[in-house]
Amino acid sequence: MQQTYIKENLVVKMQEDLKRALQKPMNKRSWIMVIDTDKCIGCNACVVSCIAENVSPPGVSYRVVNDIEDGEYPEVSRYFMPTNCQQCDNPPCIEGIPEDAYTKRADGILVFHYDKLKGKKLFQKVENQCPYTAVYYDEGTFYTANTPKLEPYETRPSYEYGEEWSRVGKGQSPINAVRKCHFCLHRLEASMLPACVTTCVGRAMYFGDKNDTDNVVNKLLKNRKWVLINESEGTKPRVFYLTGTILNKETCMTCHG
Amino acid sequence: MIKKITESEVYENTRKRISRRTFIRSGAFLGGSALLVSQLNWACNLLSKAEAGTLTPQEIYELSKAKNIIYSVCLQCHTDCPIKAKLLNGVLVKIDGPAYSSQSMLPHISYSTSPAKAATMEGKLCPKGQAGIQSLYDPYRIVKVLKRTGPRGSNQWETIPFDKAIDEIINGGLLFKNVKGEENRNVLGLKNLYSVRDPNVQKTLSIDAKRVAKKEMTIADFKTKHVDHINLLLDPRHPDLGPINNQFVIQAGRIEHGRKEFAKRWLNDAFGSVNFFEHTSICEQSHHIAYIMATNKYKNGKWFGGKEHMKPDTLNSEFIIYFGTGAFEANFGPPPMAEKVTDGIITGRLKIAVVDPRFSKTAAKAWMWVPLKPGMDGALALGMIRWIIENKRFDRTFLTNANLAAAKDSGEPSWSTAAWLVKIDKDGTPGKYVRASELKLGDENSFVVLKNGIPTAFNPYDTKTAVEGDLMVNTAVQGIQVKSAFQLLWESAASKTLDEWAELCGINSTTITALAQEFTSHGKKSVAEFYRGPVKHTNGYYNALALISLNLMVGNPDWVGGLSVGGGHWHEDGSKPGNPFNLKKMHPNKLGAFGLKISREKAFYEKTTLFNGYPAKRPFYPFTSNLYQEILPSVKADYPYSIKALFLHKGTPGFSVPGAQAQLDVLVNKEKLPLLFACDIVIGESSMFADYIFPDLSVWERWGMPHVTPDVQTKTSKVRQPIVAPLTETVKVFGEEMPICMETIMLAIAEKLNLPGYGGNGLGNGWDFKRPEDYYLKMVANIAIGDKEGETVPDADNPELELFLKSRSHLSKPIFDQQRWEKTVGSDKWKKVVYVLNRGGRYENFIKAYNGNYLGHKFNGLFSLYAEPVATTNHSMTGKPFFGMPVYEPIKDAAGEIVVQDGYDLSLITYKEILGGQSRTLPNDYWLSSILSENYILINSRDAELLGFSNGDKAKVVSTTNPEGVWNFNNGKKKPVVGKVKVIEGIRRGTVAVSWHFGHWAYGATDLKVDGKLIKGDERRTTGLCTNVVLLTDPYLKDVCMTDPIGGSSSFSDTKVKLIKV
Ligand code: SF4
Ligand code: SF4
Repeated sequence: MQQTYIKENLVVKMQEDLKRALQKPMNKRSWIMVIDTDKCIGCNACVVSCIAENVSPPGVSYRVVNDIEDGEYPEVSRYFMPTNCQQCDNPPCIEGIPEDAYTKRADGILVFHYDKLKGKKLFQKVENQCPYTAVYYDEGTFYTANTPKLEPYETRPSYEYGEEWSRVGKGQSPINAVRKCHFCLHRLEASMLPACVTTCVGRAMYFGDKNDTDNVVNKLLKNRKWVLINESEGTKPRVFYLTGTILNKETCMTCHG
Repeated sequence: MIKKITESEVYENTRKRISRRTFIRSGAFLGGSALLVSQLNWACNLLSKAEAGTLTPQEIYELSKAKNIIYSVCLQCHTDCPIKAKLLNGVLVKIDGPAYSSQSMLPHISYSTSPAKAATMEGKLCPKGQAGIQSLYDPYRIVKVLKRTGPRGSNQWETIPFDKAIDEIINGGLLFKNVKGEENRNVLGLKNLYSVRDPNVQKTLSIDAKRVAKKEMTIADFKTKHVDHINLLLDPRHPDLGPINNQFVIQAGRIEHGRKEFAKRWLNDAFGSVNFFEHTSICEQSHHIAYIMATNKYKNGKWFGGKEHMKPDTLNSEFIIYFGTGAFEANFGPPPMAEKVTDGIITGRLKIAVVDPRFSKTAAKAWMWVPLKPGMDGALALGMIRWIIENKRFDRTFLTNANLAAAKDSGEPSWSTAAWLVKIDKDGTPGKYVRASELKLGDENSFVVLKNGIPTAFNPYDTKTAVEGDLMVNTAVQGIQVKSAFQLLWESAASKTLDEWAELCGINSTTITALAQEFTSHGKKSVAEFYRGPVKHTNGYYNALALISLNLMVGNPDWVGGLSVGGGHWHEDGSKPGNPFNLKKMHPNKLGAFGLKISREKAFYEKTTLFNGYPAKRPFYPFTSNLYQEILPSVKADYPYSIKALFLHKGTPGFSVPGAQAQLDVLVNKEKLPLLFACDIVIGESSMFADYIFPDLSVWERWGMPHVTPDVQTKTSKVRQPIVAPLTETVKVFGEEMPICMETIMLAIAEKLNLPGYGGNGLGNGWDFKRPEDYYLKMVANIAIGDKEGETVPDADNPELELFLKSRSHLSKPIFDQQRWEKTVGSDKWKKVVYVLNRGGRYENFIKAYNGNYLGHKFNGLFSLYAEPVATTNHSMTGKPFFGMPVYEPIKDAAGEIVVQDGYDLSLITYKEILGGQSRTLPNDYWLSSILSENYILINSRDAELLGFSNGDKAKVVSTTNPEGVWNFNNGKKKPVVGKVKVIEGIRRGTVAVSWHFGHWAYGATDLKVDGKLIKGDERRTTGLCTNVVLLTDPYLKDVCMTDPIGGSSSFSDTKVKLIKV
């Protein structure tokens, strides 16, 4: 009899991996994100999920998905390339930034302290130093300002970094702060995977502990080809890109070597 | 005065507390829906606790808690994905894919998982679905009833009380005496149209009208017999048109199960009008009709009960060809479909080909992209079939099985008519299947094959005597000329050489061969999948039938990896023996409706009293229903009769129908359309022409029981339920408080007109029908109890009952009342209903998806390779019969003439981005439009070079129908069809593509006056272009778009355009 194809649910499995990792002390776990460019369908679900989760205002989107066309008709290719803060282990963005404005956590996440990492000047410095265009300035605007009604989903609190933030009140953090992806730290601590991972429609996003050899992410890294973006700059990024079926490594390297 | 809130006003507030004043002043569009005070102090207690350092991260993260979660169903598109809605103080703030849902998890978690556990688990949801928050909290939502104070389309309104609006609509009169030019316009109210009121009268009129149509009764006899009631009819000379009640029409856009049955019960069964319409013909109707024709059952001379939709078992297929569709945009949903494809590609299990003039996101992952000419999908399929038959690569066993017994013998769940004999006329035209009785071999419900050359009769459903037939038959039997269905398909496929097929398609014949070769290299795990692309043409039905035939060549139905009918659902309508509430039967004194629909759908011209030779005055559409595009043009033509009142619900003919100008022109026509009222969440491109607009509840505030796509292999019943408190005004109907919405309008009219089946005991003895949930909760109960005995869900335990109440603590009386809800289903069922509501529906566990080599849920039936009902019906304009087998047909107008568009060289196609649907999504959901703020005219780089366009140039799109390239709103304003050119490689040369979401001129995009105050439109909502107004109107009829005469599809992709630089 023919074997029918029943899979184990990757999200459930990753959540179990996550819970296991959370039982270890923080310095024993090492969060990484793995993005399969071959499976990404360019849907932007991750983008919207991130915006909604973190109550990002106009102009702020921690996650961006690039849609790249290549080749000449009729030999056309198209690639989708999700990017966000790479939580570099050697983060160039914070060079010369006051030390109390950020924390590089033992689990790998680079925390920006909204009440400290504030103002256009600091932002421009961080922005210029980040090779991944991953940081944003919160201008304090709202999508529904200047319409008949400022809608309540824009003034609700977010839970970034495990705190409660409401963007109401002039200059109230994270307004005027430098914002970026934090691997949904607040969700991780509540035993939930990052919002972009759970919602990913192509099931192209994975998350886990690099130190756990038996989990979903490490199995993928073992069995598939992968690249790190702008690796040569020595940033030591924590986001791994799987390639090999649709997009090959060499193509990636032409821009991101 | 509606005041816009400025940013500085927001800043006045502090982070921890938003002052009530600001919120109230910002108000809501048209003055309603202030937030509850409780919603203003965002979790203050929590915050102080957090500051005191007494909270764990889980406690802080409110969105991980079951008490803040309600499960419901999205409707940003018709995939109807289940949603996990997360609330903070009654405000919907985040939407995710539920772990319970077979559409968002692969595989989904066990149904018995407790909601407490599921609270931290979640899965996929597309960007539109997540942005639903912004459709719910759209600043342009209307919350009170509006009545126009200027001419139609002037965008001048006043708010009026709900009861007054209902009174005016019912009683009519000089309703617009304040509007210039309408001082003396007397409008007939619904009470004048509620003509036949006695069910017995309706019944006898109906029976005798049918007899007149069948010429079993003369008009004179009819008139004499019904002398007392003749004035209740539309036209005594044509009683088969039905009663005056039919002059009230409901034209619905996106209406789905739950609401659909609610509305039909009201219009058809209680008000007595036949004219209820959905929008399916501007969607993909020909796809449905072709599947129905291919899967009809046969019983006692009748073909009926076909399935309208089948899909690949994508999770196990090895090769799928997507014809004019894909898995990552539109279709029946990226959330359920995409992962099955990406997983298959990554593991090497699956190869896909995409046949589409545009290089879609799905094409990005394809083994082969086939940029064929629009509308040539049928030609390609016939080319492939030719090759498959010539090279004997079809599934002979599957195709030779002529009846159930034969299928069983070879382990096939389904079988086909491939070998069945069809009678051939003297002039070579194929007609009916040969009946055994004609050859004296059996009765008139048995059919005949040649078995090794010997005529053999059989019953299609015989389980004992297996009958297989010869496939290629072209001979005479007892003097009757016959061919097998397979032979007819072969002759159609062989009518052109491969090179000729390739030339029609605009591709190489080697591409056809390669596709056919690959398609026949995976056993039963190859599937030809299609949705809208191939069928939005005048030849849509034949294209679809050719693609279905392609599937039958490999005998893939019901096999793992093959063609699937899907897991289906538990029957919320109560039609199955186990269901406690058979809602169709719960209608005391039901009036019922009869007569010809205004669109002349589901009607045979020759069988009406209107028959007067060919051509008919306007076409008849015997096979299709829901012929959306034909409603307003028929109203204008007064054919077959005039109408008096139109209820436009959640749809927009003036925007979304091809050749939209023809529709817009009728909307402003007060003579042809004396009363026009609408119900929607925002003032749209068509509802802006209404006399009255009633606010509707959005999908996040109301009920619905949408069905699941056949892509899902497990049984799935989704329940849409109120998540947030209603934003619309609360009113009183039947003494009960409820928010204004479609259901409330119907209940209020039912109360005032005393329609049968509403109010106390409206659903039968002991069962009131005073509120929407009196109906919908019974549907939930049907799902909970199941279709047959022993199928019920468990009772909700105490923690679950508690959770149910806790998670609804923000919902108050007008929408939620536990005691009332319990009473309406009965206490014995209540805990089961809660169990279902706590999970947003009912999901069979994944283990049931497959059964060895077979799908767990099978079609188990007969496939028609030749559709006898179609073959035996005449085109109402040409008088010539249609074909039973798939054939290649060029694009034709209503008179059957080939359409010429000389001087226009670019084919125009539309498509959808995953970020948008036709409505509610782009550009008004700002998260989505922050990613894609406008659409473009996609053009191949070499075409652009030839025409002198560069990226970003502005161009106007013009056609023979609309050489000016303009929308005319008939209110003094026009909008040119102008957009930016985007030069790409990924589109066929000679074709341009424009996505279908943008180009709005209403829906918050324009200024309006309400109660004398100006409400400014939002620039962001005006971007991009909509090309529907450029699409061809029928060259013969001139007042409606072209239409597939069999499948009913409006023609979206047969138009040639020019681009003019602006
Ligand atoms: S949700 Fe997943 S598939 Fe969609 S764009 Fe993001 S990474 Fe790609
Ligand atoms: S595909 Fe997206 S928009 Fe459509 S129902 Fe699903 S989540 Fe909603």
